[in-house]
Amino acid sequence: MAEVTWRNYKDNKNSRPAPLKGIKVLEIATLLLGPGGPGFLAKLGAEVIKCEMPPMGDTVRNLVPFGFFFREHGCGLTHPNLSKYWIGLDLHKPEGQQVFRDLAAKADIIEENMRPGVLEKWNVGYRQIKEINPGIIYISKNGYGQWGQYADENRPSNDGGSQAASGFAWMSSFPGKPPLKSRLYTADAYGGLMGEIPVLAALHYRERTGKGQYIELSQTESLMRTMSWVWPYQQITGKVAQPSGNRDQCVCPADTFRCIDDSFVAIAAPAPEEFNGICKAMGKPELAEDPRFKDHLVRLQEENAIAILKIISDWVKTLTLDKVIQTAEKYGFAASEIRSAKDITEDEHFRERGYITEIDDPLDGPMLNYDFPVMMSKTPPRVNWSVRPVGFDNEYIMANALGKTREEIKRLYECGALGKWADVKGRRPASTWDGKSGLILSREPGYTDGGRGE
Amino acid sequence: MERQPLAAWVRERDDPKIANTKPEALDDLTILDLSYNSYAGCYCSSLLSELGAQVIRIEPPEGDFLRTCTPYGLLHKKEGLVYLSEGRNKFHVTLNLKEEKGREMLKSLAAQADVLLETYHPGVMDDWGLGYEQLKEINPRLIFASISPWGQFGPRSKSKMPDYENVAQARGSIQYATGEMLPDGKSYDEYPWAVPTKAGPWISWASAGTFMAAGILAALFYRDRTGEGQALDVATAEAYANFDDWGVLIYQEHGYIVERFGNLDQGGWIYCFAPTRDGAVFIGGLRLEQWQAFVDMVGKWDEWGAADFKAIGDFMVKEAQLKWAPLVFAETRKYTNDELIEMSIKYGKEGRLAPITPVIAPVCNPMEAMTDANWLDRGLFTPVDDPVYGEVVVVQSQYKLTETPPRVKWVCRPVGYDNDFIYLKHLSLGPTRLKKLKETGVV
Repeated sequence: MAEVTWRNYKDNKNSRPAPLKGIKVLEIATLLLGPGGPGFLAKLGAEVIKCEMPPMGDTVRNLVPFGFFFREHGCGLTHPNLSKYWIGLDLHKPEGQQVFRDLAAKADIIEENMRPGVLEKWNVGYRQIKEINPGIIYISKNGYGQWGQYADENRPSNDGGSQAASGFAWMSSFPGKPPLKSRLYTADAYGGLMGEIPVLAALHYRERTGKGQYIELSQTESLMRTMSWVWPYQQITGKVAQPSGNRDQCVCPADTFRCIDDSFVAIAAPAPEEFNGICKAMGKPELAEDPRFKDHLVRLQEENAIAILKIISDWVKTLTLDKVIQTAEKYGFAASEIRSAKDITEDEHFRERGYITEIDDPLDGPMLNYDFPVMMSKTPPRVNWSVRPVGFDNEYIMANALGKTREEIKRLYECGALGKWADVKGRRPASTWDGKSGLILSREPGYTDGGRGE
Repeated sequence: MERQPLAAWVRERDDPKIANTKPEALDDLTILDLSYNSYAGCYCSSLLSELGAQVIRIEPPEGDFLRTCTPYGLLHKKEGLVYLSEGRNKFHVTLNLKEEKGREMLKSLAAQADVLLETYHPGVMDDWGLGYEQLKEINPRLIFASISPWGQFGPRSKSKMPDYENVAQARGSIQYATGEMLPDGKSYDEYPWAVPTKAGPWISWASAGTFMAAGILAALFYRDRTGEGQALDVATAEAYANFDDWGVLIYQEHGYIVERFGNLDQGGWIYCFAPTRDGAVFIGGLRLEQWQAFVDMVGKWDEWGAADFKAIGDFMVKEAQLKWAPLVFAETRKYTNDELIEMSIKYGKEGRLAPITPVIAPVCNPMEAMTDANWLDRGLFTPVDDPVYGEVVVVQSQYKLTETPPRVKWVCRPVGYDNDFIYLKHLSLGPTRLKKLKETGVV
């Protein structure tokens, strides 16, 4: 039956409406935490207008890991910013503020991650916008929230600081070794997602009542929320929760083991039939009846857990990775190789599901990226296009959303409220750009300077 | 513009202390949570229950195995600690779906529900006659949400392997590239911790649950507008992997595979955890001047030639990071966390490059985080007074809303605790009828 529901899902993505069709989102955000949330909403079909400060735009354009560019822009820019519209808007200028307020009057959601108070100074804070649009849902994201000691101190915050302050990094390392920072900007990525739960819930509430609201999200608090057992554990035992490397303290056996060929494999087999399965697979079915291991709660006790993990480790050491995984499938426990970015990119399963999705972008060309990881049978999320240079969609947004004439647009450029990219790699279009591909409103030759008259 | 400072204005409206005086965004929803042995499922329904949804947890008569997943086997009043946190606000009933009568009762509940959440392997619900295609005939408005290891379709969806946090982490590309680097010429036997390392407690399952909660709410919006329900499909292998920001891009453009880089950061310098005399600090200074300020702060301005540093990009490349990191760490090891933080504040006031200074933050253990006055003030660890489990600290109020704030009303319930109330409320099953169903093993 599930086959009926999901038949040709990937091929039919564009034959169905997107779930947030008709929802308008304004973003004034930089780096990863702020743009991430609107990025998810864009994949869900919302129209997201990303406002950048011209001519340099989002600081994330500097994020060029190990110096690797992607189609001549920073790799860090792409992931949170797919399928958005890009305007270069200077909110220091009163004319720029007016443009924003005009857009905000028609918007459903505003997302921002400036320092507290900055947007009020620019006359576009929540208290000012709700006067012109009482139904607005307005979310501010940062490290420490909008009030409290750290907010009062105006502490700078970022992903690393949140991984450190939440206790998340402490719990992510080997015992007795220094706390480990994830390869991922976990606090940014997860905080970016977490904020969309209250945003979407507020949207439902607005559908019911017509009321908008203000939401604040701290990425540190978001990360703390994921660490659920840690807090009652500390309260009940009075002890500091300790890291345990790759071993899961709540599931036994569950750890990462080394195979004969020095590759690694993650294994988990806690439920009775799974544990019986791995004991049989090891040729030691009697272990499943061993009083130290028989019951999951007893098996989880430190010395018992270490004992069974040692037995499994000695067994895995004699096997190849493939053999371990085949055995797991056969005996009904869980095992996986530790997959790299290459493995993910080339994964046929992900391709067939349309999760690793092929984007055919007028600027970036053919490329692969992730779709939203919730498949929706009637309203499939999707990725339509890649990222854009600073201010790339100014003309389209001004004309389409605000009905500005070319003369009015020209004046906005002249006073500096609107702007386009600086002539800097990662800000400007790629050197291969033909001067018109991807432009929505005007494709006339000579229009590519955005009417600056240069 | 209003005169009250913004922080005070916001706090007056979204302080968790007054949450109970406000309406709830999702209190018109009924959610059936059939998830089994899945933190992803429980976490997902927790997020929705915090915002007011009535969540009915449907467990088999013996209870969910997840209740036994608890650190070192520790129980609090017979309950595992993971479940103690994620049973929050939910009603707990038992129902035997292996019995025809149990399946009939589930259909009756589904006819009245807005969302059904399940985590069985693809096909199990179908075989029970409880799949989306079958239930939508009863309730076309139903949002049918499935979380599974590989999803409902695609070649790997046939795998019968169970799903666990550590295995789901391994399937993303994050664990692969997280961890200490193995020093040249050394073996894993000498450095057993210099291996691909998973992160945090259950971030992968939490991510899958959070994505599904977002998907459910997006589907709800569509239903608000059209009246139509639908089926949703989350693969845990895809959810956490989705946070990879550039691994897949660098690989397709340059053929380069992102590898482990210890506590350094491939995307920036200086952006790392550094060891100290009594722990570790995070150092963040992505601008050249902040890096120079750090060098100056530890007294190496002349020796390291900071005046001649040209561009931060020169330090970002791998070789440079590997050269400079040990020098930096040798300096940070001379001080305590507090000393380094104090030094950076002082430098920001009096240093050669003031007000520029590196960001220095302590790497906290979770007890430090849990007793930090800032988080206590913001209501993160307010104990919940639970009628069954007493005063329990679970983390809450992770986001704050001025009109419809989240809240935790109770932390958990024993297996089948709410059978009487829920079956009476939804199926008009009073004590006499329910007793019969209990005797025949249906509930």
